Amino acid sequence: MTATRNHASVTSEGVAPARGESGYMAAAFTPRVLAGAFGLVAVVVLAGEAWAQLNSGAGQAGIMTTLWKWTPLILFGPKGEFGGFVLNIVVSFLAMAIGTISGLVLGLGLISKFGPVRSVAWAITQFFRNSPWLVLLFFVMLLTPFQIRILGLSIPLPAWLKATVGLALPIMANIAEIVRGAVNSIPTGQWESAESLAFSRLQTLWRIILPQCVKRMIPPWMNWYAILTMATPLISIVGVNDAMTLTQDALASEQRTDLLMPMYALLLLFFFVYCYPIARWTIRLERKYAVRI
Amino acid sequence: MRRLMGVLAIGVVAALMGSTAAKADQLAEIKKKGTLIVGVKTDYPPWGMRDASGNIVGMEPDMAADVAKRLGVKLELVSVVSSNRMQFLQQGKIDLMIATMSDTPERRKVVGIVDPVYYASGVAILANKKANIKGAGDLKGKPVCALQGAFYNNELQSKYTGTDLVAFKGIPEAEQALLDGRCVGFVYDDVVLVWKKAQDKKWEAFDVVALPEWKPVPWGLAVKTEELSGPWGKFMAETTKDWLKSGTLLALEKKWVGSNTQWLIDASAAAKK
Repeated sequence: MTATRNHASVTSEGVAPARGESGYMAAAFTPRVLAGAFGLVAVVVLAGEAWAQLNSGAGQAGIMTTLWKWTPLILFGPKGEFGGFVLNIVVSFLAMAIGTISGLVLGLGLISKFGPVRSVAWAITQFFRNSPWLVLLFFVMLLTPFQIRILGLSIPLPAWLKATVGLALPIMANIAEIVRGAVNSIPTGQWESAESLAFSRLQTLWRIILPQCVKRMIPPWMNWYAILTMATPLISIVGVNDAMTLTQDALASEQRTDLLMPMYALLLLFFFVYCYPIARWTIRLERKYAVRI
Repeated sequence: MRRLMGVLAIGVVAALMGSTAAKADQLAEIKKKGTLIVGVKTDYPPWGMRDASGNIVGMEPDMAADVAKRLGVKLELVSVVSSNRMQFLQQGKIDLMIATMSDTPERRKVVGIVDPVYYASGVAILANKKANIKGAGDLKGKPVCALQGAFYNNELQSKYTGTDLVAFKGIPEAEQALLDGRCVGFVYDDVVLVWKKAQDKKWEAFDVVALPEWKPVPWGLAVKTEELSGPWGKFMAETTKDWLKSGTLLALEKKWVGSNTQWLIDASAAAKK
């Protein structure tokens, strides 16, 4: 069984690059993978169902019914509010956007010719790369006010937005490192040729070096996106209504131990279905953009 | 560019001043903005929980709705957890906190806990009727279920049972042991036990017996510290007094918990005098 499975996955990976860009979703969700993911959840649910039968008896709704009842809330959040799994995705997008833009600036700071800029950029990068995400989150949550007043106008800063900034900080530092690494990986010949053609440093960087970096940066960048998305349940600890918080609320409201495993399995499935294709796509792009010597 | 910087600097200064300017009267401000924002729990049924469509319901949300009704403003409920409820209040994110918070001297230093308190949880035992337990004195030598780490465990064992407690990590396990007859009763917070008994038929053969040996821990609703002696704090103190006097809290407890606790019956009677 194991041997067959290994063989099959190798084959599907081997086949994937041959397909076109558009075929990627199909390639990621091979029937085997889907069957595996849903099978895992089904096993957990069925085990829970059996456990419930043994332990309680009549008067309780079935596990599937209960999961189904809470699914809309966990996916889309309370009515009229911004929350649920949708919030996790929006937070991941925004944090990635903020982290990428600021990371690019910071990364260019890391390769600056001007010493002080380099040192400051280095210090910032090291600090945010080596701090626990949760601690950074708490810092941002507690240090910023819940609303700011500018010229009599009070602008609310919702908790999810603060959490987004908190998650963007470590992303920024890691993207900066990716930028630095990518620029350094371009052969020095490129710099020398550009110089001989009278390009300024800025022109060289912007027109010659960075365009070549982009495709090298995409796979690690996507990798960080997947890591970030999977880290978004952290924001539940700082009081944001994300999918994790709502799952816990649902569990508290149901007061049933037999729901623990199935409920968390469902949450896991949401994240898996979202992140797995990204992981597959990353592998594909890595292979495609691999530097051939 | 320089002018732009100047404008930005003024903006920043204004922002700082705005955020530090003391609010004179929160009660007036709530009425002005037309919305009362109350922090309640969503993980503590039946005091605060979510229904399947995501609405926050429970005894405390109902209390919050009553405050909004008295003020004639709209109600907005914010979900809080134990770790952030006091910060939300002090930061001004919520106007009022009704979030199952025990009243302790340490907490009184941080937030303005309104007197009188609206609720209290004591210690009780959910005991098998057959064991005929009327109080802590009847527990001698009997197997008693409890949760690991509860503050009364030590005293319960040394003073009353004299034998090892059957201690569990979680409530469901302790309940199961009680149903299986591995112990004569389960010692826990009285309010939760009263609720459980009212909620489920499987507890028909069991009684909730109060253990007044341990003093009830009061639950307080809170406003910002600096508002406690102001109009807002006074308004909430009056409201709580009225809740006790008029039996509002007894009715809400009956509705959500299923039956009334001794503390609330006594407190309501005392308020009437």
